[in-house]
Amino acid sequence: MAGVLLESSGLHKTYRLGKVRVPVLRGLGLSITEGERIAILGASGSGKSTLLHLIGGLDRPDRPKDGVRASIRYRGEELVGRSARSLDAYRTRSVGFVFQSYHLLPELTVLENVLVAAMVGRGRLGFARERGTLEGRAKELLGGFGMGHRLKHRPAELSGGERQRVAIARSLVNGPDLLLADEPTGNLDTATGAAVLDQLDAIARASNQTMVMVTHDAAVAERADRVLHLVDGRMADDSEDGAASGEDTVGVSAEPSVGVSEADPG
Amino acid sequence: MYQALLTRRYLFRKLMPLLAAVAVALCTAMVLIVWSVMGGFLDRFIAQGRVMVGDVAIMWPTAGFAHYDDLVERLEADPEILAATPMIESFGVLVMPGDRRETVIVKGIDGPGFAEVTSYADTVWWKPLDEPLARDTKGEDVRTWDDWFLRNRAGWERDEKAGLSLTKTDAEGRPAPAVVLGIELTGANIRDPRGWYDPGAPLIRRGDGSSGYNTGFILDDRVTLHVVPLDAGGRAIEMVTRVFPVANEFQTGLYEVDSRAMFVRLDALQEMLGLDEARRLSGDVESFDPLATTIDPRTGEERFAAPPAEVVDPARVTTVLVRATDRERDPNELGEHVRSIYAEFAKAHPGQVPPAEGFGAIMIRTWEDMNRTMIEAVRKETGLVLFIFGFVSLTAVFLVLAIFWSMVSEKTRDVGILRALGAGRAGVAWLWIRYGIALGVVGSMMGGVLAYFVVSNLNEIHAWMGRALNIRIWDPSVYYFTEIPGGLEPTKAAIVLGAGVLASAFGAALPAVRAAWMDPVRALRFE
Repeated sequence: MAGVLLESSGLHKTYRLGKVRVPVLRGLGLSITEGERIAILGASGSGKSTLLHLIGGLDRPDRPKDGVRASIRYRGEELVGRSARSLDAYRTRSVGFVFQSYHLLPELTVLENVLVAAMVGRGRLGFARERGTLEGRAKELLGGFGMGHRLKHRPAELSGGERQRVAIARSLVNGPDLLLADEPTGNLDTATGAAVLDQLDAIARASNQTMVMVTHDAAVAERADRVLHLVDGRMADDSEDGAASGEDTVGVSAEPSVGVSEADPG
Repeated sequence: MYQALLTRRYLFRKLMPLLAAVAVALCTAMVLIVWSVMGGFLDRFIAQGRVMVGDVAIMWPTAGFAHYDDLVERLEADPEILAATPMIESFGVLVMPGDRRETVIVKGIDGPGFAEVTSYADTVWWKPLDEPLARDTKGEDVRTWDDWFLRNRAGWERDEKAGLSLTKTDAEGRPAPAVVLGIELTGANIRDPRGWYDPGAPLIRRGDGSSGYNTGFILDDRVTLHVVPLDAGGRAIEMVTRVFPVANEFQTGLYEVDSRAMFVRLDALQEMLGLDEARRLSGDVESFDPLATTIDPRTGEERFAAPPAEVVDPARVTTVLVRATDRERDPNELGEHVRSIYAEFAKAHPGQVPPAEGFGAIMIRTWEDMNRTMIEAVRKETGLVLFIFGFVSLTAVFLVLAIFWSMVSEKTRDVGILRALGAGRAGVAWLWIRYGIALGVVGSMMGGVLAYFVVSNLNEIHAWMGRALNIRIWDPSVYYFTEIPGGLEPTKAAIVLGAGVLASAFGAALPAVRAAWMDPVRALRFE
């Protein structure tokens, strides 16, 4: 039976817009099981991306609020309060990010864009030692996404769909346990988006990849094992409990779709 | 590792960093050129300062001192002295072909001896060349010609020999004293910036103010020298004039010397200045009566009174030049050593030569003493100019800073991406500092190449500027040397290029810190 990969609770995050404080996450909790594919559905500004950044170790939650301490436990180990260097290592080894705007480095070729993720976290010697393996893996991933013939092209020479495929290959090159995708089809037309998602699904299923994808598109969310609704910084389905305790928690689920509602585009 | 990859890509895919590299290149080239020229100027000055004076000069101007042969002998017997030679230094008026007249420094020398103490043999200009000069690719230097004014190689060899001995055969086939002139003295030689002279037929200015063309080669001509001998009190006696054939010309590279000095054979100048050996009668010559008699106190017999005795006044010179065996020896120590030898010499000739110490002592000057004011001035000026240009070059640091600041802004999203991939703050900072170093290396190398090109072709560039733009920065009459000195020293180049790289790294440091401390989430949202 699959175990819990990541568990979080009491996540608050507030941004400042000039003199105004805008709360984005309000005591949110989440539990992710290994191999699970979760979709977080929410409107723009509901805190979806912020949640990904927090559990991806790219950002830190607010300090304890009302006595409730934020917690993000990855494989049972607490991430909140860790040093920046430790979080860098966590992002390198355990997390892969896919962004809506692809975020490829424009000066690098397709192959280099994928390999750069492998270079980060490895020293010159470390990379040199594994270079053959890493290049092979990068080419394999790119080949799997139908990009094998465009290894030396630069991002500017690719279509949106191709760029996103490269970005997905980059996120997977280090073999992360957790793939975090932020609106991966947001900048693509429907057909291209569907094709990209098909490929992502195929890879995720084949490798039992844990994946959290945020989207505002219910059709995209439908592909997930579980769909969570994020409204105003809280999980919509547990708002009552969450309001009482100051946090929202979506139950741990080993089985797909248990304890959560299906995506409801209406 | 990713820093190396991105540095390479950023460096050659962006115009801005290349502009920063150009700024670094210009600054390093500027400092390197200035240092090379000023340093070359100083080195040349120090080196040339010894060309015509050796290491130490023993001087008693105007009246000169006698028994110099004994002094030379004593000096040359000392193991620390390689050679010594007598010389006379005076002033005169030289009348050259075309009636050109110049006031000149006249030096009476013994050619072979003078060549042992100084670099005289190297300075004699008109001589055969085994190989053309490096830049004379078209064979423009007449010394390589076989038909210049009836001169083939043997002819040039004769000229060289005449120059070294300051002797030429006269019309009757007898050897006669000759002169060797500074190469800039006649005005007939046109200096080519590539390193040789064209003794063509330039427009010359005559003494009466008119002008005309010189029609011959100076070595086939004669000059007239007027000198004024002085008595023991320094008063002028009567002008002495003599016509000399021109044996050769010399070039020291010091414009001041090459345009104002000439050499005459020592014995000829001694004769002209009344410094040669003289015989005179001692006693009361005026009232001597050849018929007067006297009684011999020993025999008591009457006999004719003795005539005044003939006394020989030995020849004199104003200077003895000395060359040390070890030329790297401290000049002051050497000077003191020479003084001690002179002291022994003075003891051997009491009352006949100036004393070694005390009031009215002989002057003993090292080559450094003689050039101290100028050498120190140039040394200070070099330091000052380097400081100023180094300070000006700080602009490169700020230029790199400004460009990197702007690039970090432009690359904000890249920083966010790298952080999302797990890059740490130190790694991101190192990326930009490394980028700065790479840019500094490229800029410094470009600057080094530029400086090498400019310094190696300084005189050609200057000549071109004169021809094309009518700009003449280097006036040899002001700066002593006939050509702009310079030469890129590896040590200096390494220091300046290293400083260029460091400056670039410093310029990149602040933007690097800024990039490192960017919030990755905000960076990712940067548009």
